[in-house]
Amino acid sequence: MIEVRNVSKQVVTTEGTLRILDQINLSVADGETIAIVGPSGSGKSTLLGILAGLDLPSSGTVSLNNKDITAMDEEGRAAVRAKDVGFVFQSFHLLPGLTALENVALPLELNGDVKALETARYYLERVGLNHRTTHYPRQLSGGEQQRVAVARAFACRPTILFADEPTGNLDTGTGQIINDLLFDLNREEGTTLVLVTHEMNLASRCNRTLQLHAGREASTENNSEMVR
Amino acid sequence: MLSLRMLLRNWRGGELGLILWALVLAVAVVTSVSLLAERIERALSNESSSFLASDLVVQSSKVTNAAWLLEAQSKKVSTAQMLSFSSMVFNDEDMHLASIKAVEPSYPLRGFIKRSTTPFTSDESLIEEVDYGPPQGEVWVDARLLPLLNIDLGDQIELGDTSLKVSQILVEEPDSGGSYSFFGARVLMNYADIPSAGIIQPGSRVTYRYLMAAGVDAKKEFSEYVAWLKPQLDVHDRLITPDQAQASIADTMDKGRRFLLLAGSIGVVLAGIALALASHYFASGQTKQVALFKSWGISAHRVRNIYFQQSIWMGLGGSLVGLVIGFLFHLLLLFIVSDWLPIALPAAGPRSWITGLATGLICLAGFTLPALWHLPAQSPLVVLRQDAVLKPLSSAVRVILGVGAIAGLLLWYSNNLYLSLAILSGFGVTALASILAGLLLLRLGKQYGQRLGSIWRLALANLWRRKAQSLIQMVGFSGAIALLMIMVVVRTSLIDEWRFQLAEDAPNHFLVNVASYELDGVKQLVNGQELDTAGWYSMVRGRMTAINGKLITEVQKDSHESFRRELNLSWTEELPEGNKVTQGEWWDSSAVTNLATTDDPEGQVVAPLSIEDELAGELGLTIGDRVTFSLGGLSFEAQVTSARSLNWDNMTPNFYFLFPEGLLEDYPRTSMTSLYIPPQKKLLVNDLLRNYPTVQVIELDKIIERIRTIVAQITRGLEVMTLLILGCGVLVMFAAVSLSMTERLQESAILRTLGSSRRLILGIQLIEFSVLGAMAGLLASAGAEFSVAMLQRFMFDLPFSLHSWLWYTGPSIGGILVGSLGVAYSRKVVVQPPLEVLRNL
Repeated sequence: MIEVRNVSKQVVTTEGTLRILDQINLSVADGETIAIVGPSGSGKSTLLGILAGLDLPSSGTVSLNNKDITAMDEEGRAAVRAKDVGFVFQSFHLLPGLTALENVALPLELNGDVKALETARYYLERVGLNHRTTHYPRQLSGGEQQRVAVARAFACRPTILFADEPTGNLDTGTGQIINDLLFDLNREEGTTLVLVTHEMNLASRCNRTLQLHAGREASTENNSEMVR
Repeated sequence: MLSLRMLLRNWRGGELGLILWALVLAVAVVTSVSLLAERIERALSNESSSFLASDLVVQSSKVTNAAWLLEAQSKKVSTAQMLSFSSMVFNDEDMHLASIKAVEPSYPLRGFIKRSTTPFTSDESLIEEVDYGPPQGEVWVDARLLPLLNIDLGDQIELGDTSLKVSQILVEEPDSGGSYSFFGARVLMNYADIPSAGIIQPGSRVTYRYLMAAGVDAKKEFSEYVAWLKPQLDVHDRLITPDQAQASIADTMDKGRRFLLLAGSIGVVLAGIALALASHYFASGQTKQVALFKSWGISAHRVRNIYFQQSIWMGLGGSLVGLVIGFLFHLLLLFIVSDWLPIALPAAGPRSWITGLATGLICLAGFTLPALWHLPAQSPLVVLRQDAVLKPLSSAVRVILGVGAIAGLLLWYSNNLYLSLAILSGFGVTALASILAGLLLLRLGKQYGQRLGSIWRLALANLWRRKAQSLIQMVGFSGAIALLMIMVVVRTSLIDEWRFQLAEDAPNHFLVNVASYELDGVKQLVNGQELDTAGWYSMVRGRMTAINGKLITEVQKDSHESFRRELNLSWTEELPEGNKVTQGEWWDSSAVTNLATTDDPEGQVVAPLSIEDELAGELGLTIGDRVTFSLGGLSFEAQVTSARSLNWDNMTPNFYFLFPEGLLEDYPRTSMTSLYIPPQKKLLVNDLLRNYPTVQVIELDKIIERIRTIVAQITRGLEVMTLLILGCGVLVMFAAVSLSMTERLQESAILRTLGSSRRLILGIQLIEFSVLGAMAGLLASAGAEFSVAMLQRFMFDLPFSLHSWLWYTGPSIGGILVGSLGVAYSRKVVVQPPLEVLRNL
């Protein structure tokens, strides 16, 4: 679960102090899905970075699975990320020199998983890419690359998955396929999902939507439509 | 092993290409240069040892001490005894004062004797090389002895009480340089025949030579033996090293060695720059990967470990591949130049391999690790925000580490502080100038570019926009160009200096002791053969009788032959060409005019005297000393006013003792000259000696031939090294061009997408790279001029000179080379669809 208390983020610029996030409070239960929406510059990605322990708030606390990551040093946060957190990025972030299989296996190998390749193969199969395991990212379409990224995220069996505009670089049709995959796997694995998106359509598939405006929480809605 | 697996994957994915190839090539270049240099160097050392026919010689007027021979056996030192003297040889009525050399069968210990059964031949197929002397009862003789004694091969000649069979023509002895044939034709005989000849009596003027050489793999024992031997030498013994054996070649060989060292060191620096650029390129490509690792929860410590281990694997793998390629490359170079080099070059020792491996590892530590150092601190936020890139390790720290690595390598490689300083400071001047003047030039380019066509405007604005990258590239380009220019300049000045020695018609004979009344006749004889002389020089013969009023003692006479024999004294107004005053002052014209008035209180004339500096040292003479000479019963006093170094390279007459004009002219004088006598006119020497028995002919033809061979080998070795290092320079340029390519290709692909023509895109690249190359070339010229001045002054003892050609060659070569490399690299943008280009970046 995720607990956010009074999180604010300010940065100092040449034109003075800029408040990016202001007094955000949020609780996300285990297995819950939540969408963070808002216009460009509203602080969505900054909030996601802070929730995932990639960045620190100027004030306030964030706990992931009852561990206060804002009180930890970078090594501590890295350990939490390694154990509990997975990511899916807008620009896929696949390593160009590695095959699809190696891309999925790499974080497992780095964490010392001896069955990394086996697990990677299993998750590639689950995203429907078992025939593309030896292909390099440049030989895959955008949708296929994002499916590899989704397989990589779930292969580490995170308890919380953060997705930053996962379909932002894809056409509507392909985006739809990725979304289905993301929600199906999320349901099957019982993962908590936090996603940042512009698309209201995608946001509406989450249990809850947090609307940000100029760094403030504009509204939180419980979506009536449940995950398919 | 995860790091190794990751490294192999990176390699397969093409990300390691540039850095690994830079590393492999750095190691390969340094290894091949070292192997080649070491083997040529060893060949040159062997060659110089062969000048002595051994590694070391003790020359003495006494027979070799038996205890020395015993000790030599225990230290595995090879030895040979040799005895030389002049003696008459006879065939019936014919006789000749021959120059006899008696040798033990083990002679020569180094080098070979060349012999033939065909007199006066220079046909190599008729000449045989052997490493032993004549057997007992036989002699090998100079070809010209046959007509002098009216004999043929197989005939007997008389020497003292014995009769010896002339079995071979002696074409060349390895150590002929050590004892010029002053008096006559050489007769080489067996040492064991000396007693039966009965010609050596107590008091005979003979010279004993004790030759020593290190046994196989017994260099240490040899040094111990020499250390043991030295304290036992007395005033009658003189130790001769290979370098002393042949002054005229020692300098050339020394400069040859220094050049190999310079070329190798430049190779090391170029390899370092290539690796620095490649590492920079590699590290900037790793930022995202590290951010991704960190977003997965990999700790900074773990990331550092992974990259450190990868670097070690890369260093070892790259170095091993580099060593193998370097070895193969040096074999290829040897094959290419096999006609030029001695047939069997000695094998290289472990040093070259260690140098190659150390280059790889030290370059990696000095350039790659610092470039990767900041990566573990990379913020994982980069995966979300592109602007969160961490600054790399400060440039100053990286420059210090890089320069430290290069300086360490250079010093270790060259073991020469001046050389290392000259190269580093030249490179430093170039780099500093590149940064300061480069910024100015880029700004000027941008300003003036506004007035030019659109392609120029775009290109020059691009250079300014990317100024940080442009400056790094400019340092790389100008460094490489400067180092290459340094090498070419030094090579050219050395070859120019040696040209005289390489000339086919360099004087190879000296005619000495030509009396005034013989001069016209000798001139006629020489002119009759259509031969040119180096001009005739007059001299008088005189003995030293006292120094500072004290008569020369018997001890002094024993210690140096100049105290006991007649000396050649000559006169001149001007300092002879190639001579340099090292102490005191050369006399000016007023001193010469006032000579008659420079009297001492007793009314005797005191003449100024200039003496060769090494001889002055050996005789213990310093500026101000008064030396009394005796000439045909008359004596006069002279005061040492200057010491000179002589140039032994030019084979023209050199004099140890020189006086001003107007002092010696009235004494009975003789004349001397040097001239080139081709092999087919060699019999002129016999005619000269028959008609003018008192004329001495010093035959240097065989020595000159050997010098020419060695200088030719050094010159060609030098050319090969130059080519090799030029190749290394191109590698640096390639690495520097690659540095900005991703960004450039991306921009070009976008321009292409927007419909820009092939001409515009390639035009921009051509102008950007050519301008960059030309600016770098200009700055390189300044750096090269600075370095060359230092090297000429401190290392090669060459006169300082400005090289105007550098100033236009630098910019044009830089512009053309860098421009073409840049365009060649960018071509794929205009031949591949833009999307494909972008996806492959």
